[in-house]
Amino acid sequence: MLNSTTNNTSEFKPVMQSPLHPFGLAAKQEKINDSKGAWANEIPLLGYISLRGNSQNAAFVSAVNSALNITLPTQACSMINAAWGSILWLSPDEWLITCKRDQRASFQQSLEAALAGIHSQVVDNSGGYTTVLLKGKNASDVLHHCTVYDLNMLQAGKVVGTTFGKLSLYVHQHENGYSLVFRRSFADYIWRYLERSALPYGFGIAQLNDGQ
Amino acid sequence: MFVIKCPHCFEAREEEEFSYGGEAFVARPESPETESEENWGDYLFMKRNPKGWHWEMWGHSTGCRKFFVLKRNTANHTIVGAWTLAEARKIYDAEEAIA
Ligand SMILES: [Zn+2]
Repeated sequence: MLNSTTNNTSEFKPVMQSPLHPFGLAAKQEKINDSKGAWANEIPLLGYISLRGNSQNAAFVSAVNSALNITLPTQACSMINAAWGSILWLSPDEWLITCKRDQRASFQQSLEAALAGIHSQVVDNSGGYTTVLLKGKNASDVLHHCTVYDLNMLQAGKVVGTTFGKLSLYVHQHENGYSLVFRRSFADYIWRYLERSALPYGFGIAQLNDGQ
Repeated sequence: MFVIKCPHCFEAREEEEFSYGGEAFVARPESPETESEENWGDYLFMKRNPKGWHWEMWGHSTGCRKFFVLKRNTANHTIVGAWTLAEARKIYDAEEAIA
């Protein structure tokens, strides 16, 4: 019942939890080995910044380039990796910047400062997305069960938005596997779908390198 | 199943990635407030629905989320091409001028 406790003076302390927190992945992870064909884990709580602007506008592109010290990927379905994260092309006027969670404020500030007066938008979307890495010798087989995209077309440096079961996500190569970037509310569905799709090959929770 | 080449992603993708957006280039009345009920109803509901060539809009819903225009034969599903709205408008207008 609401307000049933009158002596509740405890302070409201919000706790940041990743979308896949309920699966307790950290406790189940193990070093990747040959016993299973597919390995996955979440990279929890990254920073995600949505960037919008006109890629035909040279002022916009050069402002972004100087703010992030990168070359904005303006070619369709391309991406770049930086030491601090990556920038994914999502559409002709939209990009997703991923970085460490505690870097997002400074990236957002430097983008906003550089883009002052230029038609553009910078939004912190860190609460809205998460990333899962999928590895192992059967990673492609598992993913082929989940998406209509022909993964043979997914070369390194390319990112595509495509289907995953009934939902959608962004997928790109990551080291010797795949990186799946999707909305927070999709997390439960996508993780269970991956588990189920990987049944024929064996599914393990991968111990990822720190920060990876 | 169609394979549609998105004019923004520059890649052929499965139909499942797209959603249908209805007939393309249906002219919206200039001033809806003063338009007659009949004309407004026609604009909203009366589509050509031809057997044969059809200009239609599609959205790349799981990809770039942009809308674009497709010319498709409704009888045999042949797709001539897909263009951005601006590109397609020129081709459409040129064809309409001849027709
Ligand atoms: Zn597209």
